[in-house]
Amino acid sequence: MGLFRPARTVTGPHGDYWELYVSKTALPAWREGKPGGFEYGVGDPRGDLLELPFMLVGALWGMVIAPLLRFVALLPVSVVRGRRSRAVRIEAVSAFPQREVFLWTTTDDGVDRVLDEIVTGLAAGKFVQPEGAVYSGREW
Amino acid sequence: MVSAYELVDELPSGQARAAAWAAYALTTYADKLVAADGGSDVVAEAYARAAACLDVARRGGGAIPDALPHWRTPVRSRNQLVGMRDALDALRTYLAYELKNAAAPELARVDAQLARVDQLWIERPPPEIRGALGSALAVGLDEAYALGRRLTS
Repeated sequence: MGLFRPARTVTGPHGDYWELYVSKTALPAWREGKPGGFEYGVGDPRGDLLELPFMLVGALWGMVIAPLLRFVALLPVSVVRGRRSRAVRIEAVSAFPQREVFLWTTTDDGVDRVLDEIVTGLAAGKFVQPEGAVYSGREW
Repeated sequence: MVSAYELVDELPSGQARAAAWAAYALTTYADKLVAADGGSDVVAEAYARAAACLDVARRGGGAIPDALPHWRTPVRSRNQLVGMRDALDALRTYLAYELKNAAAPELARVDAQLARVDQLWIERPPPEIRGALGSALAVGLDEAYALGRRLTS
């Protein structure tokens, strides 16, 4: 069971390629902040130029640094919570033509059987709902 | 005054006993939820409906609720799930006794939901599993309630 190595791979009837990841950890969501409160409009061009570095720093903070700090702060909590729970997440990931992720949640007792059923379903072009698992659909 | 737990066993089959069953099921549901989780809107609604059903049972006529009260949000807490499961176990036990057969085919729909709950029942379930457990328990409780109404009418 690993976060970065697929437990199974399967190709659907239309050539769609799926990687199935099994994990006990739900990674924290990547949440970007709002852009800075700079006003865009007609003004003194020299003033706008002076604001440019602040806008860049603000964008960098909101889009990269703040989400990364949040992710790093919440990751240990997610890992500990996952280790303490008997719940197992199975994510089917397709990267082409666009990245799609579908989620099932099951228990550690039934993970192999559920994984088998999901693989069989995807090979037939279906998103199955195995006994003993909860299908949550597409992850956003 | 005779409680909902006693009245259902004292009346002959018919409209009054069906109302007594409804009062019994609603009281059981509310009591189990209170024991596991304390009060809530659903508990208050269940007690209110149970009181109305007791009135109907004693008078011998009137409207009986179609179902147990439902939650207004999809994901239940662990304690709420414990209360719901205890209630479903209690109602199933009563129905098996009423049918004089613990494996009666009439119980199949209730048992299917209990089996689904058993498969997913773990310590510290995440919201996805709590949502599915709550849904299965709600369906099972509604099935048990409806079966009880049919058996006691």
